[in-house]
Amino acid sequence: MNQAEVSKLVSKLRIKVPAEPRKLRSPKGPEGRIDKLRKTVTGLIKYERIELNHNRGDEARQYAERLISEAIRYGDCHKPTMDVANYWLLEKELIHKLFKVLVPRFENCNTAYTRMLNAPRPLPSRVDDKVVLELRGNPYPSLVNRQSNNRLLIQNVLLDAAKYDYRQSKYAEMAEKIGQREEAQALEKKSKEPTKESSNESKTPEI
Amino acid sequence: MALAIRRTSDILCAARWLIRRDCRVLSTLPEKAEISQEVVVRRPAGRRPIANEAVLESRHIYPEFLPDPNPDWRNSLREKLERADMLKRRSQIDIPEFYVGSILAVTISDPHAQTKTTRFVGICIERKGCGLRAEFTLRNVVDHQGVEVRYDLYDPTIQKIQVLRLEKRLDEKLLYLRDALPEYSTFPFDMDPEILPEGTPVPINPVQVKLKPRPWLEKWERQELKGVSNIEEHLKGKDRIRRELRKTPWEKYDLMKQYRKTIPIEDQSEIWAEVHNQLQQLQLSRKKMARKRTFTAPKPQLG
Repeated sequence: MNQAEVSKLVSKLRIKVPAEPRKLRSPKGPEGRIDKLRKTVTGLIKYERIELNHNRGDEARQYAERLISEAIRYGDCHKPTMDVANYWLLEKELIHKLFKVLVPRFENCNTAYTRMLNAPRPLPSRVDDKVVLELRGNPYPSLVNRQSNNRLLIQNVLLDAAKYDYRQSKYAEMAEKIGQREEAQALEKKSKEPTKESSNESKTPEI
Repeated sequence: MALAIRRTSDILCAARWLIRRDCRVLSTLPEKAEISQEVVVRRPAGRRPIANEAVLESRHIYPEFLPDPNPDWRNSLREKLERADMLKRRSQIDIPEFYVGSILAVTISDPHAQTKTTRFVGICIERKGCGLRAEFTLRNVVDHQGVEVRYDLYDPTIQKIQVLRLEKRLDEKLLYLRDALPEYSTFPFDMDPEILPEGTPVPINPVQVKLKPRPWLEKWERQELKGVSNIEEHLKGKDRIRRELRKTPWEKYDLMKQYRKTIPIEDQSEIWAEVHNQLQQLQLSRKKMARKRTFTAPKPQLG
């Protein structure tokens, strides 16, 4: 049982964090691992959408989320946060992007700041699982093709037409039924005309 | 004039805002009196409110209330039950605020002691563990012999914990006192408690200790200690080279490593919302009791 460190306050990440860090092999050891992740995080902040191997993408995602959440929490006037941004972003103009573009974009965000999607794998092959890592709110066209609400999509046009036809046929049926009933009532009236008026009055509310 | 128009506005409720605008033209009141601009800071929906800084500050005083940061060892039910038990224990005895570097006197019941209690005075060199297993270690030098006693903070045999001097040191752990000269960890058992005036921040003692020559229990030179003054005297060339090789300057930028060692604010504020009020009340009642005790007249001894 360890005591939690209390010297620093961190915001909770909105992604799942595994209990153990993932090892990324490098001849330089743990420093090489961090260097790899620095390159990936810099690329992610710069291009907003990159394709990676799964393990490196998942690991870099956590660091990118932490970097953005620190920037949101402490802002650009906090010296330690600035140091951290300076360390993680290898191209220095990206520090401005982090504090002036990404922080306003994600300030009121309720979800994770990044999105990771599985990328297709050319088969047959022995390459690693690929992922696409992207920042939310990027300017590129969406990767997920959800067009179920697009009325001009051919499937939706055909479905709408089919629904319209079905409804028309139903209306026709209903109209036919009503017509038949009215005819039947008219016939009944004619047959019952000689009877008393009171019986007629009692029937009217039923109709 | 304005009043008359106001009266008509009562009738014409729908057009009230128009008439108000007229009033503003006619009246001599400044515009600020009319407009009540409410600046509402809107929190995005779905995010829980974060406790204010003052509540979060209690993490320094009661660090054992925060659970273990390792998610494999978390269990929300056990943590909640442990917190309730800790509060119950705290309502029985006064567990004061103390830090590593403070000097404490702990009285525990001991069936083998003549008076059935044992009192030990020493400097707190380490605080660790969370929940009911929180513990601290006191160190003192008795008869030229270093003595360390590890106490469980919520041990039911503890009868009294008294803070003789409330202060912090430059480092988070003072384990290097084991290799330091004995004068730095010698404290008299009849020390009087020093009372700090209320509202002062906990003082940090900037004393730097002198280490004894090697061999040492640990490689202190690699730990970047602030509270040791003469570490360079005892080093050889190879020690300095190896220290350089073993340095990990990237670790302070390892954001996920920090994250895995801490409890995030959102989780903390939940915990403090649960226990902070009760802890405050306990503290207040202790203060009241302490004040009462000072005013009671000593009873005349009979016989």
